[in-house]
Amino acid sequence: MKSSANQCNLKGLYYVLSLFFLCSNLIFPAIVVAQQKTVTGRVIDATTKSPLLGVTVKLSDTKNVTVSTDQRGGFVLDDVTIGQSITFSFVGYSTQTIKIDSRSSYTIALVAVSNLMEETVVVGYGRQKKRNLTGSIVSVGASEIAKTTLQDPISILQGRAAGVQVSSNSGAPGGEMSIRVRGSSSLNSGNNPLFVVDGIPLESNSISSLNGTENSGLNPMTDINPNDIASIEILKDAASTAIYGSRAANGVVMITTKRGAEGRPEVILNATTGVSSLTRKLSVLNARQYREAVLDSYRGMAKPEEPFYTIIDSLNPMNSGDVDWQDELMRSAKQYKLDLSVRGGNQGTKYAWSSSYLDQDGVILNSNYKRFTSRLNVDFTISDRIRIGQSISYTNAVNNRTNAAGSGNLSIIRSLLIRPPIMSMYLPNGSLNGYMIGQRNPVGMALFSTNLNKSNRIVGSQYVEIDLYKDLKFRSNVNLDYISMKEDEFMPSILDYREGYNKGAVRSSGNLTWGNESYFTYAKNIANAHNIGAVLGMSFQKWRYDRTGLDGEYFPSDDIRTLNGASIISNQGVNIASEHAMLSYFGRVTYDYLGKYLLEFNLRTDGSSRFGRNRRFGFFPSASAGWRFVEEKGIKDLGWLSDGKLRFSLGSTGNEAIGDYTSRGEFTLGTNYLDFSGAAPTVMPNPSLTWETTRQYNLGLELGFFKNRILFSTDAYLKKTKDLLYNVPIPGTTGFEFITQNIGSIENRGLEFSLQTRNLEGAFSWNTNINVSLNRNKVTSLPKNLLTGGHIQNGAFHILQEGLPIGVFYGWRFLGVYARDEDNTSGLTNGANGPAFVGGDPIWKDINNDNMIDQNDREIIGYAEPKYFGGISNDFSYMNFHLNVFFQYSFGNQIYSELNHQRNSIVRYNNLSTDALNRWREQGDQTDFPRLIRDDPKQSDSRVQSRWVEDGSYLKLKNVNLRYSFDPSWSKRIGLRKLDAFVTATNLITWTKYTGFDPDVNSYSGLRVGLDEGSYPQSRTFMLGLILGL
Amino acid sequence: MKNLLKYTFYSLLFLSVCGCSNSLLDKEPISNVSGQGYYKKPSDAQAGVNGIYNGLQALFRQNFAYWGEGRADNIVTRHAGDPAALQQNTLTPVINSARWDNFYTVISRANYAIKYIPQAFGTEDSEQKRQLLGQAHALRALAYFYLVRIWGQVPLVTEPYEGLDQDLFVKKNTEAEVLTKVEADLILATENCASSYSGARNRVMITKGAAYAFLTQLYMWQKKYAQALEMAEKVLADPQYALVPIEDWNNIFVKGSSTESIFEVGYNEVQPNNLRVWYANGSDSDYVPSAGFIASIEPHDLRKPRIYDVSQVQPRKIWKFFGQGFNDESPEPSAGNIVLTRLADILLLKAEAHANLNQPVEALGLLNRIRTRAGLPVLDQNKAQSQFGSLVGSILHERSVELCFEGHRWFDLLRNEIAISTMKPINGLSDKRNLLWPIHEGELLKNPNLQQNEFYR
Repeated sequence: MKSSANQCNLKGLYYVLSLFFLCSNLIFPAIVVAQQKTVTGRVIDATTKSPLLGVTVKLSDTKNVTVSTDQRGGFVLDDVTIGQSITFSFVGYSTQTIKIDSRSSYTIALVAVSNLMEETVVVGYGRQKKRNLTGSIVSVGASEIAKTTLQDPISILQGRAAGVQVSSNSGAPGGEMSIRVRGSSSLNSGNNPLFVVDGIPLESNSISSLNGTENSGLNPMTDINPNDIASIEILKDAASTAIYGSRAANGVVMITTKRGAEGRPEVILNATTGVSSLTRKLSVLNARQYREAVLDSYRGMAKPEEPFYTIIDSLNPMNSGDVDWQDELMRSAKQYKLDLSVRGGNQGTKYAWSSSYLDQDGVILNSNYKRFTSRLNVDFTISDRIRIGQSISYTNAVNNRTNAAGSGNLSIIRSLLIRPPIMSMYLPNGSLNGYMIGQRNPVGMALFSTNLNKSNRIVGSQYVEIDLYKDLKFRSNVNLDYISMKEDEFMPSILDYREGYNKGAVRSSGNLTWGNESYFTYAKNIANAHNIGAVLGMSFQKWRYDRTGLDGEYFPSDDIRTLNGASIISNQGVNIASEHAMLSYFGRVTYDYLGKYLLEFNLRTDGSSRFGRNRRFGFFPSASAGWRFVEEKGIKDLGWLSDGKLRFSLGSTGNEAIGDYTSRGEFTLGTNYLDFSGAAPTVMPNPSLTWETTRQYNLGLELGFFKNRILFSTDAYLKKTKDLLYNVPIPGTTGFEFITQNIGSIENRGLEFSLQTRNLEGAFSWNTNINVSLNRNKVTSLPKNLLTGGHIQNGAFHILQEGLPIGVFYGWRFLGVYARDEDNTSGLTNGANGPAFVGGDPIWKDINNDNMIDQNDREIIGYAEPKYFGGISNDFSYMNFHLNVFFQYSFGNQIYSELNHQRNSIVRYNNLSTDALNRWREQGDQTDFPRLIRDDPKQSDSRVQSRWVEDGSYLKLKNVNLRYSFDPSWSKRIGLRKLDAFVTATNLITWTKYTGFDPDVNSYSGLRVGLDEGSYPQSRTFMLGLILGL
Repeated sequence: MKNLLKYTFYSLLFLSVCGCSNSLLDKEPISNVSGQGYYKKPSDAQAGVNGIYNGLQALFRQNFAYWGEGRADNIVTRHAGDPAALQQNTLTPVINSARWDNFYTVISRANYAIKYIPQAFGTEDSEQKRQLLGQAHALRALAYFYLVRIWGQVPLVTEPYEGLDQDLFVKKNTEAEVLTKVEADLILATENCASSYSGARNRVMITKGAAYAFLTQLYMWQKKYAQALEMAEKVLADPQYALVPIEDWNNIFVKGSSTESIFEVGYNEVQPNNLRVWYANGSDSDYVPSAGFIASIEPHDLRKPRIYDVSQVQPRKIWKFFGQGFNDESPEPSAGNIVLTRLADILLLKAEAHANLNQPVEALGLLNRIRTRAGLPVLDQNKAQSQFGSLVGSILHERSVELCFEGHRWFDLLRNEIAISTMKPINGLSDKRNLLWPIHEGELLKNPNLQQNEFYR
């Protein structure tokens, strides 16, 4: 009882697959079966008259005969009888059908439509035509990805998608990136979007627990090879995300991997190799300048002390060097990558198989990242009604990391800049000078410490799809994401001040997520006017996390790094496991009338084990409407307006990213007393804890002009988040540091613009994509009883205050430096009874005019939130050359450079930046660099102050890609169907006033945005690549 | 139609297989235990009380010497931070020793234990239950006793925090209110704790004797001398406490659990403390004996060479806790126990009580037990008067040497109201209100109902 509608459905699916197929530049073989008549032809672009490669040519009334056009646009169809029709379909062009008459040769001119409007995009539990979308979704396709040589999907999104802000926590290979979709909408809980790969919710938080501090994490999304990705869709507004309910408040990133399509197997080999180097070196004092600075710092002391002469004794072999440690530690780093993929299939089976190997050195000595990925996607049609399939991917990554970040003295970046230039690399006896008066040798740390992270990850899913009845389909999939990670850490004794003191640690972690999603899909067209669609389903998902580890100290030698060798096991309490589960029901109804009036409703209800028993389930509804006014009479006839759509959505989503057991309170085991096992309350229970709720409104307008040569779209949104989950600090008298509460609210409002133009067409073509995003974040309410001075301190540098955005820096205002003692006319003092400020001291703004500088003289000294950010991409094509020039920018944000604090203040014997050459030295010096002073009782340098706040705006020539595609006729001679060669430059030029390594910096992934504590620096990369198609 | 039914049936079957009930969402903690309803069995109660001791370790790990010795006259320091601030009397609300969080962590754990131990034992009235309750009360009292001596008025919290309906922003209680609770808790401990525990637990857990000893300290602090005598008698009557011979004097600390020890906080290699950092960190410890202290030691005092290296004019480290000749340059944290009270302490407190009650004979008898052990001539009332100005003065001097660096000195000065007279020449301490510590700024920021101690406002 197969119906025609059903066939349509199958055709639709097939059509979709074919589109994929074509996107991948696959070339179908001509399946030639001799019969009555052979038809040949050529398919060209109606306007440019240039041949179209890869057009799907399908003969009607048969099941099998599908071919695609070759380089010249040509096709051959055998087995054709007069009266049959042939359908030509191609992405970005309107489909055309011809009837076969007596002719045997045809020229078909396809009319380009907006390639964007006809494209389908991935949405939650399905696909939709972009023209029918009522939500706000931005899509980045494989062709965009191919222009980069970046190794993870998140960094690819930087500057390429409106409303998506990506910043680097670390420039290390495999290092962490921050991604924010339409701003931060949470305080303490996650601000990461939900990642969904081929329908599977993927773990996007690193499970790493060693090798560094909270601000130098790993990016688990690097487990996905960008070359496997067919498209990335970012769902931004509530209409698109509400179907993911309580995990969707931060947006949803849908990654779709390439799948196979019918046709001859296509083999692609992609080889790239390249070299990276530091984008910028920072200036430090040389040996002579350094010695003077140290002596100066002694002179400034309140009770001058005898200098520690050894350090300034240039004849002492330990202190006679003149080293810029950046030169010693940084290197030109090589990388190479090899990708092999085979995709193809026949009517019953389609497959996509790929493997890749990446070996990437970091610019810091000894840092290296190796990644092997392999993926197999298969789809089987096992009957007219039933399709099954499987996706499985495996990633093995070995990351030889560097403890680069942070302000502790284990940070390589910090010691690189502040270790005195005079210190020798080696001791007189030839061994490494690993530790001297508080300064670790950064080269020694890079070379001799171990920070190894090895992980294996399997992501798999199986689905079955059944055509139940005419318009009704059922799909169910089981999915699994398993990460296992082994980490080793070792700090050898040569890097420690303690004789024979070395320490090591080992952690073994596992994270398993699995679940099932099952849903019915209904699609019905009534009277060629009413389109009705529906989805109804349920899902459950479970998570389990395990970690085991040991720390040890006093290994017999630095060569014995196994924990078995440790003479003291200093921490054996690391045995952690936790579980979390979620149960959900969801549904969607869509309706459109003639593709003109569009309506959509979504609902999801989620229950999470993380919340208090009585507040466990939440409802997340959304509704949206669209009006394609271009279809209206009168407008339709306007020649210059080729597309026009207005859309509006509203809805609510949630955020459940808190600790698995926070609501119940926790007794921690292992709080032992001697050998007697103990337990103690460590988390205060809060049985009324529930998710954060975000209500979002979105208004969008899409316009196309001049046959869609100009496409413009804009979105305005308002996101209001309430019941924020926050670790509220509570008085120590409770016995707890904080309690997780639903408090306060945040608002994000913003505008997004994107403009795509085809400036020139023809032999020389030029396309431009521009996007601009503005987001204004504001904390709208905080619990009054938690405020001190009207705000909540958020880490050392930031505060949270009603009416202000999340990332505001709070501290003392630096107004300059007193040239003379007398310049402090009012006798301003440091604290109530403290000393008066004198010549060479900073001039602090006395905000409350009480003639002393204390806690009450702090104010807002900077904003980390950019005024706007985005990207500009230009594509040029001439003959076989293709050039992509991609700029990325952020404007109006400020950075708090804790790194500049570190390298501009005298702490023990650290080196300084060359700014210190302008320091105040004697009465009358006019400068903005205060005097150097040891043990400064006025704590001038360590105050959080405006002196370390800098403009973080930048424009970056992020990516330049020049590709030459060899003529197929030429490449055929060496047996290749396809041969491309390309060069790519990443981070080529950055225009900025920022004085640190790179303005694309964000030391913490959490709320403490815009802080530069000295992360692993960004690098400039040049890559050469070859793509071979067999 | 048949197919429709068939496929729908299978789909629904599939759904129901995957379908889950609400119980899916009941996730109990695996490696930790849910806070609500932790106390279920007697073993939970035991672990809960061990958790209080764990808090006590953390409490004294870093700041013990700062509180008891840092502001007094027996030490000098070259170290910035807390040591300098305390010794130079430039205390600020940001120094580490101004934090009281760890005290309240102990108190919170004790409050949980006190509330829930009965639940873990059900209706049965067992010896173990009473012992555990006794210890929990004693540990809470100990924390409050130190709190009052360091900060004066502090909030008195006696219920565990289990939800937001409780008052988070507590106000200070008077010293008398807090000390009344300390007294009641300690009396409860004397009634419930065991006289001794088997094996290694004995002197590192609160016994009846320890509770009496802390009561002695408390009553002395309150100048309730008669009650102090009564409590001290209980300790002295306990046969498990005896003075060690002078040869073993260092071993009270080096080995720990000596017969002289009444209560000490246990530490080991993986639960270390800062004794070495304070007193013997290579050549760079926080504290070395002050010149005044060295001068105050009487000639031929057998303890002197056991306290520091007498061959050095300015000793670089204190041997007392590590043994004579200790010369390990390693600055690693130490595993030695911190002795909070021992028999010599109680003997001398009792002597002090007698002296204050004008019972010189009893006072001198006790004092001379300690002096004799130290190889010093016995004192009579005249000698005490001539050598130390008064009988109480001689006892305080004896405490200063016998109990040096054990965290008693500052409280001895406070108790006898001689802190200002002693410290004024050294660091200019002159204001009575300055005798208290400031409350840490972080705590004031978190609790609007809390007022900074007057001197530091």
